[in-house]
Amino acid sequence: MSLEPFALIDCSLARRATGRNCSNLKELLDAVRTVPDAVLEHHMMRCPLEDHFEMYEFPNDLARWCWEALGDPVLAEELGLVDPYKETSMAGLRSTLTDAIEDRLWGLDRIPWCRAGFELHLVASRLVAYDTGERIPTPAALVEAIERMSLRSLFFHVHEARRRTNGATDDFSLWLEQFETCRDLVGSLRELDFYFLNLSQLRQEILDLFAKHSNMPSVA
Amino acid sequence: MKLLDRYEEVVGHHEIQRLYRMAERLAGKRVVHVNSTRDGGGVAEILHWMIPLMQELGIDASWEIVEGPADFYRVTKAFHNGMQGLPITLKKRDYDLHYEINRENAARLDLHADVVFIHDPQPIYLPRFTPAGQVGRWIWRCHIDASRPDRGVWKYLEGALPHYEATIFSMAAFTRPMACPMFLIPPSIDPLSDKNCLLPETERLATLERLGVDPDRPMMLQVSRFDRFKDPLGVIEAYRLLKPYHAGMQLVLAGGPASDDPEGAEVLREVMDWAGEDPDLMVFMLPPDAHRDINALQRSATVVLQKSLREGFGLTVTEALWKGKPVIGGACGGITLQVYDYHTGFLVHSPAGAAYRIRYLLRYADKRLRMGQNGYDFVRNHFLLTRHLRDYFTMLLSLDRPEPDSLVV
Repeated sequence: MSLEPFALIDCSLARRATGRNCSNLKELLDAVRTVPDAVLEHHMMRCPLEDHFEMYEFPNDLARWCWEALGDPVLAEELGLVDPYKETSMAGLRSTLTDAIEDRLWGLDRIPWCRAGFELHLVASRLVAYDTGERIPTPAALVEAIERMSLRSLFFHVHEARRRTNGATDDFSLWLEQFETCRDLVGSLRELDFYFLNLSQLRQEILDLFAKHSNMPSVA
Repeated sequence: MKLLDRYEEVVGHHEIQRLYRMAERLAGKRVVHVNSTRDGGGVAEILHWMIPLMQELGIDASWEIVEGPADFYRVTKAFHNGMQGLPITLKKRDYDLHYEINRENAARLDLHADVVFIHDPQPIYLPRFTPAGQVGRWIWRCHIDASRPDRGVWKYLEGALPHYEATIFSMAAFTRPMACPMFLIPPSIDPLSDKNCLLPETERLATLERLGVDPDRPMMLQVSRFDRFKDPLGVIEAYRLLKPYHAGMQLVLAGGPASDDPEGAEVLREVMDWAGEDPDLMVFMLPPDAHRDINALQRSATVVLQKSLREGFGLTVTEALWKGKPVIGGACGGITLQVYDYHTGFLVHSPAGAAYRIRYLLRYADKRLRMGQNGYDFVRNHFLLTRHLRDYFTMLLSLDRPEPDSLVV
């Protein structure tokens, strides 16, 4: 049986302002209830593409905004634990977020507001992916490709793949399944807590796993 | 060697190949960019590199300039100020003049294209006067913070927007509710231009000597058009607050004219009056093509300021970060997209704040160097022209195929 090479995809975001922003927690609740899925996806799942440095406390924009702008660390911590890839649908994610925010508001005497200039501007995004034309024939070649591929490609093949498969798998482990010797590596890749990591950290952890399971050196 | 291939040294071979790959899907498209000047200002700088690179990528790109009398530029400067929140008083004849100049230019310019990008308010009414079917898509690229505009100015400009299929802003905070999609694409710099390329050390020192700047003493620098929103007087105040602690500090305010900005000379006079006779306070009005002089000054600065009160994006910040200089920036506009406290500089809210942060950077040279390295890496990854082109292509591909939510081309 001939083995299919790995097709390397790159991507880019077409980001669009919605014209809507949140200044307080009630507006955030209204927004979470009513915005299109593309907005929730952007703020909960596409942050890694926009992260700079390693300074963010939480993996999603809603938690960060609650922490930095609203000054509500309790809700920030709650929202920071919401994992969109563990939800079975966007409706499920929306329900989880709504519950967390409603629950927080229920116990407050005053609605938290942010200062002027610190509003959460709601953005929708659309992922545009394109075939780079590169075909990767072997796991060893995949390691080399992962070392140099853009962070956007990494996002597509891990985060976006999880979204496409309802959290089941990433593209690397799906492709590696066809190699008998990679079974353990496949399992380890699927156990990665990828949502907790920024993309540079994710790259390094993937390379470390390849090295661990195949005695290949990883590059720091 | 092709133009685009020169950038491989900066961004790597694969990034360039990705651009070619994306551009294949847009090959042959006719694209026209329209603005109001070829000289001076960030928009002209961007178009100077964007047009030839788009052409090299197989896109039939060209650049048209609207023209008008001096009064037209007075009115459009007022629009610019009004969009940034300054109260503006314009008469009906001013709006009529702008409208009429757009009509005249629509007849004169070559606007047969699949996509026409209209930059800022000067040419905004061109679609109104262009025959239907001549242009496939009109896209308004607004480089200005439009979040709190003067009501009268906005009401006039808003009337043009129904002709546009999409708009582009540098950041979400600049937008206003609109019927058409508002894409978010920050601008960028050309790392190989005269303003941003590496300079021979001999040239850098010769430039400083020619301008009268002492290379052996610390220097704080702000490079901007002479515009009140850039707060040059606030920068001078920061310098004067700092001077008792750092007697050797020099301040350089360097700007240049833009042909569509008639207020520059007036603001320059204000700055010269305020500067007085301090030999360590130098104010330079440089010609619009003094890019290598700006480059030398930025590379020589100990600290770079962009203490704006309102700002579009702030490409001078990007330029400084690219040269490994931490930036003290006014906490406004696109500066907040680039300056992160303790990472690439500091955001400040007053002359006192600027003075305080400069003292910090002067005291902790190791942190200053680390922040400079952060800034360089940050610009390389996010604010070079390759990213900018990629964003434009992504938008065009997205407009060509509006469904489904994710697109594979």
